[in-house]
Amino acid sequence: MFKPYILENMEFDKDSLYKLGKLSKIQIDESKLKSLSSDLGSIIEFINRLKSIDTENVDPTSNSLDQSLVMRDDIASDVNSANEILENAPQKELDFFSVPKVIE
Amino acid sequence: MKRNLNFIEASSLLEANETTSVELTKIYLDNIKEAKELNCFNTITAEQALDDAEKSDLRRQQGKLKSQFDGIPIGVKDLFCTKNIKTTASSKILSNFVPSYESAVTQKCIDAGLISLGKLNCDEFAMGSTNKTSYYGPVTNPWKSNKSDAKLVPGGSSGGSAAAVAADLCIASLGTDTGGSIRQPASFTGTVGLKPTYGRVSRWGIIAFASSLDQAGPITKTVEDAAALFEIIAGHDPKDSTSSIKENESFFDNLNSSVKGMKIGIPKEFKSDDLPASTQKVWDDCKKLLQNNGAELINISLPHTMDALPTYYIIAPAEASSNLARYDGVKYGIREEGENLIEMYEKTRSVGFGDEVKRRILIGTYVLSSGYYDAYYIKAQKIRSLIKNDFNQAFERVDAILTPSTPSTAFEIENEPNDPVQTYLNDIFTVPINLAGIPAISIPFANDENNLPIGLQLITNSFEEQKLLNIAKNVQDTVNYESVPKNWWQK
Repeated sequence: MFKPYILENMEFDKDSLYKLGKLSKIQIDESKLKSLSSDLGSIIEFINRLKSIDTENVDPTSNSLDQSLVMRDDIASDVNSANEILENAPQKELDFFSVPKVIE
Repeated sequence: MKRNLNFIEASSLLEANETTSVELTKIYLDNIKEAKELNCFNTITAEQALDDAEKSDLRRQQGKLKSQFDGIPIGVKDLFCTKNIKTTASSKILSNFVPSYESAVTQKCIDAGLISLGKLNCDEFAMGSTNKTSYYGPVTNPWKSNKSDAKLVPGGSSGGSAAAVAADLCIASLGTDTGGSIRQPASFTGTVGLKPTYGRVSRWGIIAFASSLDQAGPITKTVEDAAALFEIIAGHDPKDSTSSIKENESFFDNLNSSVKGMKIGIPKEFKSDDLPASTQKVWDDCKKLLQNNGAELINISLPHTMDALPTYYIIAPAEASSNLARYDGVKYGIREEGENLIEMYEKTRSVGFGDEVKRRILIGTYVLSSGYYDAYYIKAQKIRSLIKNDFNQAFERVDAILTPSTPSTAFEIENEPNDPVQTYLNDIFTVPINLAGIPAISIPFANDENNLPIGLQLITNSFEEQKLLNIAKNVQDTVNYESVPKNWWQK
């Protein structure tokens, strides 16, 4: 096996994992808590390698294409009708997506 | 008819009226039926394919061909939206999704008269290097070791696309490559896989994984086929804001395999004692081959090579967590009912996503969360600049760079490491290229001691695909790699 990095097994803190689940809208399955915290721990440890790299005077790159935004003519086109789009909706009412009631 | 026809051979047969598109399509649909065990296809669109083939034959009779490749059957990764044809990204959450529009790439294939046989299996949302994360089950590599009967992974995420070409279930296929997802499976299956320059091929209508890295490309049997299919799908698209405005080129007609006087860079950071001896040997053999054919080898350094993989595992999950926020059970895909809106979101996403996708969403959310954004995400984008700069400096001295495509050949489906980071290492040689946005190709060179294909990766500077294809053709024509897997899946 190709092993260019030395990795120690770090566990990801369980309370933080639940918080992350809330933020991501993903339920953390109790039975997978241990394996998930070990997986995430090992990934975090892996990306922490980068901390030691000096990036003081480096600009970030968001994508590699060296091109400014291209403008297009502002011409209306008739695509994506409501009916077509709603075909894929799990629940709809009239011409709308329907979701559980929200009261605040 | 001859097995393993390539794009060029098939178009010659069609042109000489020695076959028809309908006949070709039927042969491939039969091949697909016989290869169920390989699990390459999520959806087979037999009826539509035969209908399209009939129309192609009619066009041929009337002398109204859409392109010189009109009528050739291909396969499409199930990540490209196809109008009125189910498009799942191999995820449960999209298992009922039928797009109302056609992706830019598949539209271009339709416009060239290519016939789609169906949608090819892949890792869920293109996240994986084994094709094991698919909701529809793993794809099996048509290749087997000569020392064992165990089933092997085809690589991923475009595992179905690569396996289908290797097993002759289609003449060529479309894949996508975010960190190696075309080149690594091409290497594992003895096929040719091209990842174009970021911006060359429109991303419009491709289900997004990491938008600043995703790029579509061909998986084919030969370099000529790669040039032909690449030329069909490339070009500016106003619907993709990161689509390059550069003119499309005649990559196929302009193929020229001379490497005389070219400078080929050999990066010292890709050398490792962990590299299997057979891979090292193949790499060395290819260096000698290029030298014999008139190229000059130059030792170069890409100092941030080892930083690319951890950088990728910040940027890709960050973009994925944001791109995948749209799957919430409201507009499309499956919904799991909950007591309230939030619970509905959480249940839908927990049931709809598989483990690897969840892991990446959680990591992405973590590196983007308040207090960590600068430390991880911005830091990674800065290191991305350093990686890009390494390549810029290298290309001041060399025309192309030669490396292995992967650190190993195909491994057993049952034998994947438990630690996700060990699996991520599959992409160690391919990921830096996506971060730099430059083009690269994996071509088969030889088989290892277990008779499994080893691929080599050629890399050039942005928008130099022509040079890349030319060098690849030179290597292909000199080595004459003609191995194909034994068709054990045909009963």
